[in-house]
Amino acid sequence: MTQPTITTQHVHWDLDYDVHLGATWGRFMHGLTERKILANRCPECSRVFVPPQAYCESCFVRTDEWLELPPEGAVEAFTVAWHGFRGGPTPPYAIAGIRLDGASTLLMHFVRELELSDPDAVRAQLPTGSRVRAVWAEERTGQILDIAHFEKV
Amino acid sequence: MASRAVIAGVGITPATSPRKQTSSSVELVQQAVWGALEHAGASPSSLDGVVIGNIDGFEGTVLGAKHLVRRLGLGAELPVSILNTGGTTGGNLMQVAARQVRSGDRQRVLCIGGPTFFGARDLQAAINTNSPMIVEQPLGMGAYHMGAFYPSAYQDRFGASVADFAVSAVQDHEHAARNPYAHLRNTLTIDDVVTAKPLSSPMTMAMVCPVSTSANALLVTSEQAAVTLRPTPVLIRAMATSSDPYLGGGKNDFAAMENLAILAQKVYQLADVRNPREEIDVVEVFCPYAPMQPMQLEALGFAPPGGGIGLIRSGATRIDGDLPVNLSGGPLCTNAGVAGELAPYVYVALQLMGDAPEAMQVPGARRGLAHGTGGTFFQFENLAILERQERS
Repeated sequence: MTQPTITTQHVHWDLDYDVHLGATWGRFMHGLTERKILANRCPECSRVFVPPQAYCESCFVRTDEWLELPPEGAVEAFTVAWHGFRGGPTPPYAIAGIRLDGASTLLMHFVRELELSDPDAVRAQLPTGSRVRAVWAEERTGQILDIAHFEKV
Repeated sequence: MASRAVIAGVGITPATSPRKQTSSSVELVQQAVWGALEHAGASPSSLDGVVIGNIDGFEGTVLGAKHLVRRLGLGAELPVSILNTGGTTGGNLMQVAARQVRSGDRQRVLCIGGPTFFGARDLQAAINTNSPMIVEQPLGMGAYHMGAFYPSAYQDRFGASVADFAVSAVQDHEHAARNPYAHLRNTLTIDDVVTAKPLSSPMTMAMVCPVSTSANALLVTSEQAAVTLRPTPVLIRAMATSSDPYLGGGKNDFAAMENLAILAQKVYQLADVRNPREEIDVVEVFCPYAPMQPMQLEALGFAPPGGGIGLIRSGATRIDGDLPVNLSGGPLCTNAGVAGELAPYVYVALQLMGDAPEAMQVPGARRGLAHGTGGTFFQFENLAILERQERS
């Protein structure tokens, strides 16, 4: 006969954090408040990073040449989330890797205004190379959601 | 004095869901540790190091490894190294232990894989905290959403269908049915996988790993320190790790596992593997999402780009094929966090020793490949070539 036992105890974490952005992302976030997508370029390999990064990982040099990118580009990969998670947006929603014109990296963001009722039909909604444009949030506070989402051009 | 490192014992506990698990983390780890020592025929007093890991936020503490070690009954003086590389923690344990042994600093180091997916009530919410904060996490980008970018891009390039991505899930479940330690041991049809609840296109629920509880342990020793131990030693012939950018947007190509392909070239060169398909007898890859498996097989040089699904369909990767892959059932059938990530190394070692459970043993397996991956958008990869070392 097994002994009566208590199996689990409840533990709860309730913690808030402030993450210090640093000069590079701080400048990028401030740009968003002015409806500008700021990027920077590696002086050695000429690749353009967005979000910007302080160093080029391939060339080991500082990337302190800044430029503004157009709020338009092409979708390279995407997924439609049928299930979200606690604290996240309400599904379904589409997230895409977007190659802004002139960028060497992808910017991840929502693509809205798609018809997402049929899981079997979503691929055709956003074929690779689809042109999308940023839609700015009315109130901008210096965070990635200052771009509310992208939509097809 | 520098030495080659071998695997000389493994321990593994049967897996179950957190809900059905009645043992604590310490108890599961104890069972695995003592199982490994018994398998090896080693006494705890002969150990001179422990390598253990934990993952931030998953257990309601970041001290999981620290509080566990002293409660295992392995002695009070044993030095402990703690790893925390997110979802690759388990896969890196052996690499760190082997480097300690190769340097000549230690002789017998025990790697411990604990059940780190055990405690969180909403594990998905805990896992989702690893998506890049500030610029990508606010976009509703959780773990399996990140995982879905790869098959989505792969579909676009190679024309794969959702049913194509189901083949590795079906095969892994077939294999897990033969593995007494696996968590999910039910078999599935392609249709079961395709019609399961859609999660993040093109992935369904049946293409995503379960939350399991189990523990395992793996003893790494110098060649000399393995002489008196029971199992046929398994030489760690070559191993390495690699990393990719942190942001998903820093990926070059979602339709290929580029980071793994670069790592594979390096490890094959170290192990003098010229033709992986012909020279490797057994493979365990870490693919918590089913579509990753064919892409990983491509990156590892077992199939050309776009050929991974065809390779699985050909039957080559089944137990009776020429390249058995994930005979354990892989993480799609058992994923207990750090233990799940160490599992590929544990299972390949068992196969090469000839000590795998009978129903899953590959007869005469001599050389194996074990792989792990994790981090945001599979930022980190780890890989090793292991070889059975016949005793003269």
